[in-house]
Amino acid sequence: MTPSDCLNPTRRSVLISLGAGVVALTLPQGALAQTPASILKFGLSTFPPTLKPFDNTGGAANTVKLMLYRGLMGYDAGGKLVTELAESVTWNDPTTAVFKLRQNAVFHDGSPVTAADVAYSLNEITKDSSTAYLKSDMKIIAAVEVVDDKTVQIKLKAPCAVFLDLLASYCCPVISKKSTDSAIIGAGPFTLKGSEKNVYIEVARFKDFYMADQPKVDGIRFIAYADENLRYAALEAGDVDLIEYLPWTQFDTVEASKTLKMKTTLGPFMFLLFNVTTGPFANPKVRQAVGYAIERQDVVDAAFAGRGKPLYGFPNPGGSQFDLADPAHEWKYDVEKAKALLAEAGYANGFECRLLATATYGMHQDTASVVQAYLGAIGINATLDLPDWGTRVNAGKDGKYDLAVHGTSGNYNDPDALWSLLYSGNPSYLQSFGFKSARIDGLLEQGRNEVDQAKRKAIYQQLAVAYYEEVPQVPLNWRIQAYAMKQSVEGFEQLPGFLSGSSAYALDETKFA
Amino acid sequence: MLAFISRRMAAAAAMLLVIGTIIFSLLIIIPGDPAELLLSTGGGSASPEAIANLRSNMGLDQPVLVQYVSFLYNTARLDFGTSIVDNGSISSVIALRLPRTLEIIVAGTILALLLAIPAGTAAGLRAGGKFDIATSAINALLTSVPGFVLGTLFIYFFAQVLGWLPAGGYVALATNPAQHLQMLILPSLTVGLHLATIVFRMTRASVLEMRGHDWVRTAVAKGLRRKNVVRRHILYNALGPIITVVGLQLGILLGSTVLVEFVYNWPGLSGLLVSAVEQRDYPTVRAVILTVAAIFIGINLVIDILSSLLDPRIRLQ
Repeated sequence: MTPSDCLNPTRRSVLISLGAGVVALTLPQGALAQTPASILKFGLSTFPPTLKPFDNTGGAANTVKLMLYRGLMGYDAGGKLVTELAESVTWNDPTTAVFKLRQNAVFHDGSPVTAADVAYSLNEITKDSSTAYLKSDMKIIAAVEVVDDKTVQIKLKAPCAVFLDLLASYCCPVISKKSTDSAIIGAGPFTLKGSEKNVYIEVARFKDFYMADQPKVDGIRFIAYADENLRYAALEAGDVDLIEYLPWTQFDTVEASKTLKMKTTLGPFMFLLFNVTTGPFANPKVRQAVGYAIERQDVVDAAFAGRGKPLYGFPNPGGSQFDLADPAHEWKYDVEKAKALLAEAGYANGFECRLLATATYGMHQDTASVVQAYLGAIGINATLDLPDWGTRVNAGKDGKYDLAVHGTSGNYNDPDALWSLLYSGNPSYLQSFGFKSARIDGLLEQGRNEVDQAKRKAIYQQLAVAYYEEVPQVPLNWRIQAYAMKQSVEGFEQLPGFLSGSSAYALDETKFA
Repeated sequence: MLAFISRRMAAAAAMLLVIGTIIFSLLIIIPGDPAELLLSTGGGSASPEAIANLRSNMGLDQPVLVQYVSFLYNTARLDFGTSIVDNGSISSVIALRLPRTLEIIVAGTILALLLAIPAGTAAGLRAGGKFDIATSAINALLTSVPGFVLGTLFIYFFAQVLGWLPAGGYVALATNPAQHLQMLILPSLTVGLHLATIVFRMTRASVLEMRGHDWVRTAVAKGLRRKNVVRRHILYNALGPIITVVGLQLGILLGSTVLVEFVYNWPGLSGLLVSAVEQRDYPTVRAVILTVAAIFIGINLVIDILSSLLDPRIRLQ
């Protein structure tokens, strides 16, 4: 028996399989480029769980929602607040706003956008059974009055400095009163063409969108890539034209690339939260000590590949109209000061604690590791707790931690956007567990209800002082968010600061060179 | 034979009931509230009122026992209900996704058999020879590289560097057959190579054992052509353990292609399971696990019957 004998059938089958492989490899590459050039392929970080117009179910969902639905207000590509379905807004007095709707604004079913639709939409947000993201914010509305078909008057219970920003939110669209739970009728620049759960969503240009020359592309195909490296690989391989959340480790590659480019902003920020109901962290001095104990540049370097900026104090968003810098109070890295504060609080020998983050997001986990190391240096021995995201959210809300890492952004570039992080209304995983401050709550309310900008600045300066004294959170760093795209993609801009999550507004003007 | 099969079927049904109950209880125990998660996906935080409203829409405000009984009742009628996240029909999502996972597995298995059985036979027949040493070394290397590493390397070379194949994704066969096949190559190659290492080892060992038997020596002495000796007397008898291993691996692959599906963005059943777990979409998690378990049990049943046909001694046991 020779090897060649017994290899006879082998050789044939190997050849057959090799042949099959070669045939498959030589299939026309053009197949990949068959979609028309004016369909923009957008790599999302996750598949939108739902497209319910008023709920906030994540950045990917908000991006797609902005394609399908629009509200009275919006933002231009530079982040400036502009009218959207409304043509104009006039404040009769600080609590009464009159909106004139655009004559040519129509819903996807062809019916015109009317004042009654605006009233219907706002009622959907504020009604008792609603699950809307802006439900409590919009409770400031006292009455919505339909003046005529194209005029609506909104009466507020109190003046609200950010009311127009709230109306520009991706969670505040105007939908047709003929909408049902399963069939939402919006007035966005695109209509829903097709989708498959966890795979793709395709939208097609709405030819009757109120801006005659927008959108510039015929359609957008959103494809979900949960793995950030694959999302980048898909861009590099040419499978998609534009991706969100470019991984920080790829910034260098894109900067050096001749075929790709990116748009960035210092948007969200990372911070530490405390369980202030028990233990050492109930004492603000201990929280301040933590503020002084961490070298923030190391967090930026370790967790964000150097793509961020240390944040030593009050997280006033980029693009905010107020300068609230207060270098004297800022928590610059100072181990001696941190140790002194710990000693003052009665913890000269340090203590043990649990540091909660999540293994779902590498940046949270890496941030926690750096924080753990620096806390160790002042005698605080933190044990890492890294559950999956779902468990992390619950643990945060139920106070099952001593110290926690979190990162988020507000919705507009005004200190008021910190409301959900600082106002002690509801127990939330975004806030230090058990932290309540009548002073901070009062200042936030004053700032929102004041329309004189000079007075607002004074209020937010006081808020910053309260922030340093009471330490509702310890900020760590701003992180750079980036969209990456092919060189041939033009007109897309990353909206600045906290508006990063609303960058989908810029897709209206995005086109291929 | 009929009694044997019906006994097995009853045991399978009981096993499914136990699995269903365990899954149901586990999901109740693990922390994480789907309503809260859904409304906080964006890093935001919803009001308790909004969360309570959503919980009630999802049917999570019902007592646990009521949820359990309705789960059993509906499952018995093969009605998996709807996803609590997007209200879509779970049965139709599974019907859509299961074939895709099976497609990678079947393509990978065919590839594995085509590569491993001839290579394993050749290596086993000339154990210690150059071919055996070379293939065993390659085999050891492939065994020790996890599927997702192999996948990442493939994407790097074939998509990013060479630009021959897409980095991942899925297009239905009906939409674009060429693109569909292109996208199938890397996932099935990844699954196939890994399975091939197992089949190779089993074939080699099995052939090595069989070729020493008396009947092989007799067949050679009788003057049979060597090709026939290998095919009819060695390989045929060596097939039993190979079939068992492939069958078991098929079942395991159903639940474990998850990494390959994740790496290549292939929208199969495992990917559905992972996202459902992340979102705490309880009904979907239960339905997927029960489906996989049912298939696994089904495959084992078939393997038992196949083995008993190949080797009559098994029927007597």
